[in-house]
Amino acid sequence: MHEDDSGVTKKRTLQLPSMSVPLSSHEMGEVELSCLAYAKMYLHASQFPRCSVNGLLLSSSAAGGAVCITDCVPLLHTHLSLAPITQLALTQVDVWCSQTQQRIVGYYQANACASDSSPTPCALKIAEKIFEQCNNAVLLMIDGEKMFPGCRVPPIVMYERKDARWALKDKHTIMLRQWEETCSIVNQLFSSGDQALLVDFDSHLDDITKDWTNQKLNAKIMELVSPANGNV
Amino acid sequence: MSSISELYDVSWEEMRDKLRKWREENYRNSEQIVDVGEELINEHASKLGDDIWIIYEQVMIAALDCSRDDLAWSCLQELKRQFPDSHRVKRLAGMRLEALERYEDANKLYDSILQDDPTNTAARKRKISILRAQGKSSEAIRELNEYLEQFVGDQEAWHELSELYINEHDYAKAAFCLEELMMTNPHNHLYCEQYAEVKYTQGGLENLELARKYFAQALKLNNRNMRALFGLYMSASHIAASPKVSAKVKKDNVKYAAWATSQISRAYQMAGRGKKENKCSVKAVEEMLESMQITMS
Repeated sequence: MHEDDSGVTKKRTLQLPSMSVPLSSHEMGEVELSCLAYAKMYLHASQFPRCSVNGLLLSSSAAGGAVCITDCVPLLHTHLSLAPITQLALTQVDVWCSQTQQRIVGYYQANACASDSSPTPCALKIAEKIFEQCNNAVLLMIDGEKMFPGCRVPPIVMYERKDARWALKDKHTIMLRQWEETCSIVNQLFSSGDQALLVDFDSHLDDITKDWTNQKLNAKIMELVSPANGNV
Repeated sequence: MSSISELYDVSWEEMRDKLRKWREENYRNSEQIVDVGEELINEHASKLGDDIWIIYEQVMIAALDCSRDDLAWSCLQELKRQFPDSHRVKRLAGMRLEALERYEDANKLYDSILQDDPTNTAARKRKISILRAQGKSSEAIRELNEYLEQFVGDQEAWHELSELYINEHDYAKAAFCLEELMMTNPHNHLYCEQYAEVKYTQGGLENLELARKYFAQALKLNNRNMRALFGLYMSASHIAASPKVSAKVKKDNVKYAAWATSQISRAYQMAGRGKKENKCSVKAVEEMLESMQITMS
């Protein structure tokens, strides 16, 4: 994971995400994960510690070049491998994305069994579906064993499509800007109790007055994200 | 930090009654139970009478869930002192070992209970939970099947088995477990709806029709079950769109899907009233229903 101390990264910090164009072919296959996306994934996994959870990774940037994951939609915490609700959720998120100029660029999952962060058949299946529409889609597994306070490494394992299979991504192509700040934002959400605001699609179906697009929580997180860096 | 009674302006009796409600309805809101229970135990133990022992048990289990080993340990000590030879307390000690991931020690404890009392279902179920925690799904499934041969009426076990089969993508066996549950709990809309989801996942025309029927049944039992409503809509739509069905079947399913659509729209309109924050989800549903109508006609 890059931290913001290399010359190249500093330069790109001043660019708006939607203008990020690879500076060389060497940068193809790069994935950027925003604080907003990371925070909500983390909160989702924390809200249901005894369940496997999953969700979709979204991008508001144009296709081509690096994949910028700017947001995520938490989906399920029950029966991940059953079809109807997954299909329903995928369709609704698709619709919402076209209404909001976003694209589905990936899938994340956290397994109930924290010691096993390998992708399940269900994860591979959904990632495959996303890959059909997005040729640099990513599959992100959350590593439960690294989700403890004070852990210095992001609890993330990423896979990309290579030679007809999902292969582990080179860590150096994954960028999490302002990692320390992101951690501090997540901690603040927990101490203020705002982590309870997170709604996933499952919870929405239990009570449809709850908003699975998480507008309220998004606003809180964006307030906490430092405006000086100009990132999303 | 202010106390629960101060924060929420509740009396100790109300706290005790809340704990009882959570106990009776089997809620797993462990953080809340720890907050309320710990204060009750620390401040009002003398007033609780004999209730205190079941509260110790409830708080201990919740404490394990929240990694509060300090609290779990002190509850366990009180229970051990009061009930020195109890199997029930021994099982709690085993659960603490499980929480500490000392699975071998936990198993030894449960085995000693079973030696004394081979019919002790709690100990057997804990052993199966350990297999699950260790990711040994096939063994857990095997043990659970053996258990159910002896204790065929154990609803919790049937449900646990259906969950295990769903995780292993063995939908036929999951369906079997849910059939057992529906037979003994004909008014439970959740079992109907889960069964329908499994059938839908299995796929094929026959399964889709069964799925639709059971989604409809779930709705009859609880007309606010949104999963059942969406499920009915999706299964009817798929059947109507299939080239293999007769004109009559197609017509019927178009009708069911249309009915489901109107129910969904109505539900979302009511949900969206006055609530600015869920406008996005409401809009997404509306557009989804519209777009799916177009592909169907």
